[in-house]
Amino acid sequence: METYDVVAIGAGPGGYPAAIRAAQLGASVAIIEREQLGGTCLNWGCIPTKALIAGADLFGRIQHASQFGIKVSGATVDYAALIAHKNKVVQQLRGGVSRLLAGNGVKVLTGQASFVDRNTLDVAGNRIGAKKIIIATGSTSVVPGFLPPNGRIVESRGFLDLTALPKTMIVMGGGYIGCELACMAALLGVKVTIVELLDDILLLLDADVRREVRQHMEQKLGITIRTGKPLEKAEAEAAELVLVSVGRKPVTDGLKLENAGVKTNDKGFIPVDDFGRTNVANIYAIGDVNGRTQLAHNATSQGIIAAENALGNKPGKYESLVPGVIFTQPEVALVGLTEDEAKKAGRAVQVGKFRFGGLGKGIATGETIGFVKWIADAGTDQLLGAAAVGAHATELIAEATLAIRSELTATEVGRTIHAHPTFSEIWMEAAHAVHGTATHAPPKRKK
Amino acid sequence: MSTPIIMPKFGQMTEESAIVEWRKKEGDKVAQGDILFTVETDKSVMEVEAFEAGTLLKIVVPPGVNVPVQSVVGFLGQPGEAIPTVEPPKPAAPKPAAPQPVATAPAATPTALPVERAVPSAPMTVAPAPRPPEPAAPTAPAAPSIFRISPRARKLAERCVIDPTPIKGTGPEGRIVEKDVQAYLASRGYDKLRVTPAAKNLAAKEKIDLLAVTPSDGGRITVADIERAIAEKPKPMNKMRQIIAQRLTQSKVTQPHFYVTVSVDMTDLIAYRNGLKADGLPYTVTDFISQAVVLSLQEFPAVNSSTDGKTTRWHSRVNLGLAVSLEGGLVVPVIKDAGNLTFREICDTSKQLAEKARAGKLTPDEMSGGTFTISNMGMLNVENFAAIINTGEGGILAVASTMKQPVVRDDKIVIRQMMKMTLSADHRLVDGALGAQFINAVKTKLEDIELWKRMTS
Repeated sequence: METYDVVAIGAGPGGYPAAIRAAQLGASVAIIEREQLGGTCLNWGCIPTKALIAGADLFGRIQHASQFGIKVSGATVDYAALIAHKNKVVQQLRGGVSRLLAGNGVKVLTGQASFVDRNTLDVAGNRIGAKKIIIATGSTSVVPGFLPPNGRIVESRGFLDLTALPKTMIVMGGGYIGCELACMAALLGVKVTIVELLDDILLLLDADVRREVRQHMEQKLGITIRTGKPLEKAEAEAAELVLVSVGRKPVTDGLKLENAGVKTNDKGFIPVDDFGRTNVANIYAIGDVNGRTQLAHNATSQGIIAAENALGNKPGKYESLVPGVIFTQPEVALVGLTEDEAKKAGRAVQVGKFRFGGLGKGIATGETIGFVKWIADAGTDQLLGAAAVGAHATELIAEATLAIRSELTATEVGRTIHAHPTFSEIWMEAAHAVHGTATHAPPKRKK
Repeated sequence: MSTPIIMPKFGQMTEESAIVEWRKKEGDKVAQGDILFTVETDKSVMEVEAFEAGTLLKIVVPPGVNVPVQSVVGFLGQPGEAIPTVEPPKPAAPKPAAPQPVATAPAATPTALPVERAVPSAPMTVAPAPRPPEPAAPTAPAAPSIFRISPRARKLAERCVIDPTPIKGTGPEGRIVEKDVQAYLASRGYDKLRVTPAAKNLAAKEKIDLLAVTPSDGGRITVADIERAIAEKPKPMNKMRQIIAQRLTQSKVTQPHFYVTVSVDMTDLIAYRNGLKADGLPYTVTDFISQAVVLSLQEFPAVNSSTDGKTTRWHSRVNLGLAVSLEGGLVVPVIKDAGNLTFREICDTSKQLAEKARAGKLTPDEMSGGTFTISNMGMLNVENFAAIINTGEGGILAVASTMKQPVVRDDKIVIRQMMKMTLSADHRLVDGALGAQFINAVKTKLEDIELWKRMTS
């Protein structure tokens, strides 16, 4: 029986960076994957959706090219070709992961992994030993029992394999995955209805951010949004296509966690401490399966930290500041505390907002929708949170994340020279707006 | 002329109080009878009303600071009226902060000294009579040498977020000047300090000395480090904890404790008590212990006594204290004259007192006059513990959890329900042999089922 220092179960955006980091630290490492290298993110999530959204976005821009004096007529979308582009992107990245693993000397094992005991795994009938094990099995879409998936009822993964788009579709669930795909389909001409059980879509966002996205989705993309009522079974059955996106659940099937004594919580997640440790000392859990923030970049960060902790480095804690990005149109991004959360926690905060419409660059490129906002501590001026809605929001959030993690103040960001003319300037303006001193916004009327 | 607002005196024994919350802000209009602030006294939170209408001109005493009663805590009057300069009364609790730069003499501070207060107790108490207030605390606060600092030096210290008080001044009369601050910063390695901007702002706001903060994140002082420093700042104890601290210290310092432990076989008593319970009778295990203690105290009067070190005083009545733990502290209601109560009366009285204690409704009278106390931690899964005698009493019995134990009976090992209890006795009153006899008397009673059959029939 071959024994490794570290074995990662699952080769998604958590597992493969964990394996590589462990190998960099000199450990003998194996990684087990039962489907495709890259996991949900690369194969059925982040990456393929962005390939499709990029196509849809370009198509939308072509239709509005006339404002720049470009006359285009007869532009059409060959969806099958767009899907082929997506598949090519996925293929290329998958090959990249494979080469990275091989280059770092990580042994890739294919098949279902299951625990024999806390130091032994079974992979498709072969046993391997492991001193440290990192569980990185991710999550999968929840599908309500009354809607068995078939050709017309799909979750996100099935949706990405369709080679033709319907004329109309219902998106069940107004979370970020549902909204992203709804925007993409709507840009490509599909008549989309989002049905959300709760009172609004994208409820993790502050109301002002939400309003901005929702308005654009309804008024510019023609998406119908119905909230506060469930989707009826009859409606679903009558629809041309239903995309189910009501949440994700952890994947632990077949792992036989009980053989190692690893505990799961009532929702099936594997709880971990701040250092990534499960209740069993040599077993770590990273990414979606541990039920903390379910985002690929968080899994990657946790994977690297867990690998370092597993190999006896001075234990590091999982990062707590995790940006979120939503590829709707307009894009949305947020990091840290929201205004809503601050209010609920009874924290005195000051909010500084600035609209893209007030930026030279925004007007020049015709991207004037939306705004960014800082949430700063009223007493110390510390930047606690940020949100952006509008063009390039998902790129812009990086500066806010760095600023918040570095515990900068609104004053510091305001004093930092931002190149002109750029979209990034908006953070500087919004930082001044925290103190009511933005240069490029009309002064606030005094009460 | 503005009218001073005075910290009222809520009871005979109250010498100091703390404001819990100001219900009005400076500048608020106040009508006669409006509640100005709430005050925490030894026992409860009281509301203080305005005696006249006006505007709250100034708050002198912030919440959470203990000040002597009759101190000026604020001023009421008409906007624009002059307010006499008043230094906040000295907090009664010793303040760990740096000496305050006091310029003017405290105008309205009463001369009440923060001497040790007497324990709230009724006149009949057996506790040593409130000691005559000593002329003055022998360690009268040495007048803090006046802190002198130049405005520029103070500015620099503020900008660097450091506490200037430890700096040695080289200016006239030891005044700290700018170059003293600079030298101090250099000697303390201030320029090597790395602080996040938010952490610096927070430290400035909360008056945390950056030089006193130990960074945890790779040498960089972060908001978390400052928050830790804030959390570590000494905070005034609430009234209950202050009284607990004062009484326990007094007892432990003045009463030489000695301890003796026995194991009681509770197997039969528990079975008997369960039988009573099945019949609908309310006796708890604590009640049996209380009764056994009361009977034993009557047999050993020396234990039911108190002393001041020169005289001993026997108490003809047994006033049995029962320690009840509450959120954030404990109280000791007293079953008065327990020797003259029936077992059932002891049971009923202790139940009532415990309920009142948990509801915070005990009167001072119900908490004073104890001659001996029982502290029962049986429900807290402890093997054994020793308690501190309630000041002025002769002893306290600490009752631990009952646990199944292997014990030897007739040269065989059997499993019995065993309970350890430890007597803490004042050695000035009770010698070792007497303590041993007393606690064994309690033990014997608890193990004597015939006794309980008599008591409950």
